[in-house]
Amino acid sequence: MNKTVKITINGEVFEQSVPVRMLLSDFIREVASLTGTHIGCTYEGVCGACTVQVDGEAVKSCLMLASQADGHNVTTIEGLAKDGKLSPLQQAFNDHHALQCGFCTPGILMNMDEFLKVNPNPTDDEIRTGLVGNLCRCTGYAHIIDAVRDAAKRAR
Amino acid sequence: MSTKPGANWVGAKFNRKEDHRLITGKGRYLADLSMPGALHLVFVRSEQAHAKIKKIEVSAAKALPGVVMVVTGEDIKTKIKPMPQPVVQPALAANYPKHWPLAVGKVKFHGEPIAAIVARDKYVAADAAELVRAEYEPLPYIGDPEKALADKSNRVHDEWPDNVIFQMTFTGGAEAEKNDAEVDRIFKSADVVVRQRFKTHRCGVTPMETRGALMSWDDSDGLTAYITTQRPHIDRLALSDILEIPAEKIRVIAPRDQGGGFGVKAPFYREPMLVAYLTRELKRPIRWVESRQEHLMAVSQERDQIHDIEVAASKDGKLLALRNRGVADCGDGCEGVYWGFLMPFLGCVELPNAYDWPIGDVKLKVAVTNKSALSPARAFGEFPTRFAMERVIDMVAKKCGMEPADFRRKNVVKHLPHTSITGEYFDSGDFVKVWDNLMNQVDLKGFRREQEAARKQGRYLGIGFGLGVELSGVASELLVPMESQPGYGAATVRIDPRAKVIVFEGDAPQGQGHETTVAQAVAASFGIHPNDIVVTTGDTGTTPFGSGTIGARAGSYFVSAAVMACTELKRKIARFMIHDLKVENATMDDFEFADGDIVFKKNSNIKKSFREMVERIIMAPINMPAGESGGLEHTAFFEAAKPMICFNADCAKVEIDINTGQFKILSWTTSEDVGQIINPQIVEGQMQGAVVQGLSNAMFEQFVYDENGQQLTADFENYKLATAADVPEIKVTHAPTPCPHTPLGSRGIGEGRPSSVPGTISNAICDALAPFGIEITELPLRPNQIWQKIQAAKKKAAD
Amino acid sequence: MYPAVIEDYQRPASIDEALKAAARYDAGEALFLAGGQSLMQAMKSRLVRPRCVIDLQAVKDLKGVSASGAGVRIGAMTRYVEIAKEAKLKGAYGALGDAAAHVGDRQVRNRGTIGGSLCWNYLAACMPAANLGVGSSMELISASGKKRTLVADEFIKGPLDTARTDDEVLVATTLPAAPSKAGSAYKKWGLVTDALPVIGVAVYVELDGGGAISKARFAVGGLATGPKRAKGAEAALIGKKASDAAAIAAAAEKASAELETQSDLWADSAYRKNLIRSLGGEMIALASKRAAGQ
Repeated sequence: MNKTVKITINGEVFEQSVPVRMLLSDFIREVASLTGTHIGCTYEGVCGACTVQVDGEAVKSCLMLASQADGHNVTTIEGLAKDGKLSPLQQAFNDHHALQCGFCTPGILMNMDEFLKVNPNPTDDEIRTGLVGNLCRCTGYAHIIDAVRDAAKRAR
Repeated sequence: MSTKPGANWVGAKFNRKEDHRLITGKGRYLADLSMPGALHLVFVRSEQAHAKIKKIEVSAAKALPGVVMVVTGEDIKTKIKPMPQPVVQPALAANYPKHWPLAVGKVKFHGEPIAAIVARDKYVAADAAELVRAEYEPLPYIGDPEKALADKSNRVHDEWPDNVIFQMTFTGGAEAEKNDAEVDRIFKSADVVVRQRFKTHRCGVTPMETRGALMSWDDSDGLTAYITTQRPHIDRLALSDILEIPAEKIRVIAPRDQGGGFGVKAPFYREPMLVAYLTRELKRPIRWVESRQEHLMAVSQERDQIHDIEVAASKDGKLLALRNRGVADCGDGCEGVYWGFLMPFLGCVELPNAYDWPIGDVKLKVAVTNKSALSPARAFGEFPTRFAMERVIDMVAKKCGMEPADFRRKNVVKHLPHTSITGEYFDSGDFVKVWDNLMNQVDLKGFRREQEAARKQGRYLGIGFGLGVELSGVASELLVPMESQPGYGAATVRIDPRAKVIVFEGDAPQGQGHETTVAQAVAASFGIHPNDIVVTTGDTGTTPFGSGTIGARAGSYFVSAAVMACTELKRKIARFMIHDLKVENATMDDFEFADGDIVFKKNSNIKKSFREMVERIIMAPINMPAGESGGLEHTAFFEAAKPMICFNADCAKVEIDINTGQFKILSWTTSEDVGQIINPQIVEGQMQGAVVQGLSNAMFEQFVYDENGQQLTADFENYKLATAADVPEIKVTHAPTPCPHTPLGSRGIGEGRPSSVPGTISNAICDALAPFGIEITELPLRPNQIWQKIQAAKKKAAD
Repeated sequence: MYPAVIEDYQRPASIDEALKAAARYDAGEALFLAGGQSLMQAMKSRLVRPRCVIDLQAVKDLKGVSASGAGVRIGAMTRYVEIAKEAKLKGAYGALGDAAAHVGDRQVRNRGTIGGSLCWNYLAACMPAANLGVGSSMELISASGKKRTLVADEFIKGPLDTARTDDEVLVATTLPAAPSKAGSAYKKWGLVTDALPVIGVAVYVELDGGGAISKARFAVGGLATGPKRAKGAEAALIGKKASDAAAIAAAAEKASAELETQSDLWADSAYRKNLIRSLGGEMIALASKRAAGQ
């Protein structure tokens, strides 16, 4: 029923016995108390608010068991700013008013952070397609595209 | 940005104050809050649409280790007062269905709560919910509103004589019989008459954060209730009435961060009632976090109206009369504040839109059915009526042989203030200016040439327009009769001894950026920096009473109240300046608050720093002007004498593939009158988001109930929202007229903004398909249906 | 929602260990977990309630794409993100890359695998139709060590059903060495971008020396009965040139006529047929273009 897992989140090791059925998203929110990772759907894994990076890749933490992340490195929104300094992508979101309620934002940032590493010079269409796994209800997406485009430009 | 003279903060680009915590994962939404020992509550929901409850077997659920309590409707119906309660009941004549948080006797829609589990662990609570077994005796499903209105034998609410929750004739004050006779006379003699039925499907707003509540009970303090809500002060009064707890023993707190609302967090719902009751019963904290499935089954459903519209016009294109018979499907209607019918009610009030109608006969009937009660959604009630109106305007223009754009300009209201044929008051603005600004952005003649050339190559381009007059806040004149609530905006402005300013707001934002907008307004007022201002919202323990974040109240009512409070405090500071510095013949207006200083305008050598004066008044209240006391805090209430509006116009260009009915939006341009802008990015963000929400509603989203009332669309695989790759970038332009009735000239914006979208996009599609003579009369705009219409037109042409 | 109670989690390092772990349970009680992008949905909605989850993430033999004279071999645990950019699949097997590039979204493609999708065989999925289209084969191995290889037509059954038995692991998908003038393509339509397909069409063609189609496969996903080949359309393409627009349209029309389509939330039966027609024509043309090396 329970299994001891060892998951490194934002550089901190969490070793804990948890039920096998515990979702990674719950491990992050409840065991590690990192509540920046949000839950927006029931079982379907469509909204993307729970997106984190596992070994540097954007994945939906609600579609993984915590057990699957045993031995892996997880980065959450709380790990994106380094030494208290916002990443260029985070700063661009602030500058371009790329968020309103902010509920979907952590998932979007974790997805786009990896996206820009894979594709540092994206077109607007590529950014839009890259965001398909993150639903946003407030912004109409336009300012998010502006922010990602600008973050890419700043990184060049 | 450096601290510039005060007034410049109004209208300045200024990065949102809310953002830092939200982009670093430090936002605190309902589900992120914790209380030691909190139990988890989950609802068991009806699997049937309409059925007598024979038995609900909960013993297996109760026996599961970790389960603390299981309750059904029978357990609570004598312990808690039923709805409706006066505080959440409109003053409009209607049937108000009696209900408890859990179904009693029978279930009335697929998804109605029938039992609740309280457990120590949320996984265990979910396990227990599966073990609850309900036995039902099925009743005929009532799913068609028109049939429901006609058939009295089969009723949603057994104690009612029929299925009519609300009906009304809207004449704008005219005597109905006379009015209708005059309308009949005009229709009989009019050159041009267009009749058409328009249907708008059930869809809504579905914020990314679902609903939830976290509450605790203390025998001396009473109930502390964190609720995802747009109107904490109303929730507090309603909880007090239902649980029969004195209101002073209830503190409702809307979490500082809420993940969108758009109306859906404005009603007083069943679920928080039950959480509150059980929290008091168990004297242990209880948490309920709604699942997306619950959310899509129980709330977030709006629109769902049918309108049979008739328009009479002269052959030179002047509107003469409007007739409308509206029917709305409000679901079971069991929902505090709105009761499922306030949306269609307001939709009909707003039906005439910006057009100058001489006369009209507008009637509405609202039916209850076995569906979830309609809950408010941005573009409240008017999304369907705007769709119908903007479409029928194009059809009338076509029949008059006029370009729809010219027809609109000809018939738009030219002189404000104006009272519409349904009695809606438009306070101020310049519709023609907004319209002309839009037409300057879109080259209509050039587009017509391009369209003609494209058609020769077998490509189908179209252009469409739409207008929207929207509420800028809701004046008491409208909100008292509509919702038994006051419309005024309230703000407490407290200056602390270190010259920081705290603003308290009773309304609860859900992403609109109140912290930034009001900080800019207050900074401008005191000549200090927005970062020196803190905004506290939504806590009934600390904030002044407010009816909630609804109807675009922030930019109109809340900001105005805050500015009024600042003005009062500035007067007091000025009185102290005059006294302390012995300034002769001066009033408040002689002092400029800028750059952190207060300067006597007639002699700039006479000045004090803002901080110095603040400390003097708060910390050293001696040697004061006659009759003064120390301290700097003021609560102001802003009320507009008459309702206020904002206005917008949209233009869309599309291209359609006639082989598939699939279409691409080539461009979307808007023209807005939002009055004086406070934060341009926030305004732009509201417009981008609103138009896209309108598009998502019009093109993708649809709640579907099958023939047995089973709801088939309770997840994001089946209830489709627009993704980033599905929508265009919106080009937002402005043609503002400052509102003369608010201190800053600002208008509240954003709430009604999606309403012009479905008509605009549909008009563009019909324009593209004009060679086929296609008229879109139903939403959603699915390629499937457009393709069918093209097929039918081709077949007709071939026959 | 949350998964029902799971008793055990195993992370085997080899195929053999995986099979042994599964053998400890009755049929269906232990489930192999690949990327989990379908299975986790099913577990969370409690459509499935495994006693044991056998996570295949550490089984190296199941991963990666390799090419030899015999053809291309795609490990079952190869993810969409890898398939989408795999050079070995361009041209003849381009349909697989087309499909993988548009499954779900980036996050899903970072975890979802070809094998997981094939074994789950959801009716509105891209991988089963695309594999049926290119004519791949499935390598299975059972706890007893028995190996068998099934062509896609045999492996893929009705919705949520395949020829794999509960004690078998799908090891790899294999593709024969393609002739020089072969090409394939896949495209779907859904209500929103990259949604599950309302209809998805995969077409594979080989061209003869004269540029005429000598072999064709035409497969459709999004049907209530599971992915299906349109054999009438395939036959109609033989001997036709890609430049013959009328012949392509006629073949797509044939596919549209011969396959049974359903009505549901997303489209009615007639519209599905129209999608087969329009996507079919487009994919025949694209596959032919790729076959011609263009």
